[in-house]
Amino acid sequence: MEKLDIFVLEDDKLAQKVMTSQLAGHNVDLAADLKTALKKLETNRYHLGFFDLMLGPSDDYSGLKAIAAAAARGVYAVVVSSSDSDAIIDRAYELGARDFYAKGNEGSNVAELLRKFLQNRRAAGASDIFASAFITGDRATRDMVGEALKYAPTELPLLLLGPSGTGKTSLARVLHEHSGREGAFVAINCSAYTEDLLEAELFGYRKGAFTGAADSRKGRLLEAHNGTLFLDEIGTMSLNMQMKLLKALEERCFYPLGSEKPERSDFRIISATLEDPQDLIARGKMRFDLFQRVHGYTVTLKPLAERREDIFLLVQHFMKGGRRLSFTAEARAQLEAYAWPGNVRELKKFIDLLSSGAEGRVGLDTVKKHLKGQPVRAARADGGADAVYADALARGLESALENVADEVIARNLRENNGVRTKTMADLKISTRLLYASLKRRGLSQEAEK
Amino acid sequence: MSADASKLLHDLKSKCASLKSAADLYKDCSAAEKQEMLALMTAAAEEIQRTLAALSKLS
Repeated sequence: MEKLDIFVLEDDKLAQKVMTSQLAGHNVDLAADLKTALKKLETNRYHLGFFDLMLGPSDDYSGLKAIAAAAARGVYAVVVSSSDSDAIIDRAYELGARDFYAKGNEGSNVAELLRKFLQNRRAAGASDIFASAFITGDRATRDMVGEALKYAPTELPLLLLGPSGTGKTSLARVLHEHSGREGAFVAINCSAYTEDLLEAELFGYRKGAFTGAADSRKGRLLEAHNGTLFLDEIGTMSLNMQMKLLKALEERCFYPLGSEKPERSDFRIISATLEDPQDLIARGKMRFDLFQRVHGYTVTLKPLAERREDIFLLVQHFMKGGRRLSFTAEARAQLEAYAWPGNVRELKKFIDLLSSGAEGRVGLDTVKKHLKGQPVRAARADGGADAVYADALARGLESALENVADEVIARNLRENNGVRTKTMADLKISTRLLYASLKRRGLSQEAEK
Repeated sequence: MSADASKLLHDLKSKCASLKSAADLYKDCSAAEKQEMLALMTAAAEEIQRTLAALSKLS
């Protein structure tokens, strides 16, 4: 839990005691009169302040002066009112009060105010995240990540979708860092293991559990105790393994290989897949009950080609602390038009490559040399006429238009959770056109069904 | 209502609200805290009585 510095102006000793109890776990500083309050507000720094307005039966709302002093020093001032008139409350807001509650139900009122304050604080912190831990200037992505951050401190499982290299692991780490969980962030890419190895990796094993198990080893589930378990490419896990994982998730209890002693682990799960989970379920590649268990809130990250404004934000970020590069106008245009099939990961590799080269000024030839043979981004749904034109010149108009159609169809399918009939209706396209697009995207088996 | 009566009523409501919140908290207090809380609640109740007496003089 975040520990806040909180100021309380309250003349009544019993009310002071109530507030101190409600704010247990934070640093609470009390004042019973205006003079002490002003002195403390002048010399100390507080995140939040609770202000009684009338300090004693003959007082003339001197709490208002303290609110003005607190607001001037950036304290989030909250009016605690017993029966003050609307005019007095309005005056408090004019002087800088940010919130208000009626005295008498401190248990829920104070908890709600703290929750709101911390949520606003996290939202404000989110803009810093987009400039450091998860670089993006794309409004839709920012909104989606901002929304996900609201769920970071909860137990809700999170599912991250998006093509490879779009930053799912980075986002999972950010969400863990904002979860308030004291344990570690433990990431595992399920596609990197065979079924047996994945089981050993996740659940751990006892010495001698299988050939080669020379020592006992703690599994990732246990390593993630009180922390976050990030399961990347969860869709590649076998159905048998999915069942075992589901059991462990539901019971918070599992057996390491070769052990009869159950282990318990309290971890939060964030999972990711680059495939459409609805498609995986329809194709029998993903258990519906596991999907239900892992998709509390879903974040879909767009490919880099659909976040063009992020390209140079990321270039600047990747150059930090290293060699500065400058790009000619033609080189910039080429980078912005490029499809970036490997997304942010590919861009990082590209910048690393350039940074270790001889040239500080990067021209079109250098860009073409390193990105040669790769497809030029054909079109964006937000209208990249130049990119379409460049693609048409490079690969022919028909091919360029097919790319446009594929991107629009893929986007609409994602928005419709893979429901093809909805996409055909939305885009007013024939079954033939939809299936031709699926085939071009390498989903030929799916299209032939 | 006079200005004095209005302020007394405000004070009365404030003290009653504190007493209610303290009563809500009481059951979850440790033994030592319960003693402290009871003493404060008793003092608040006495204050309330005094405020009521002052109010009755004004009416």
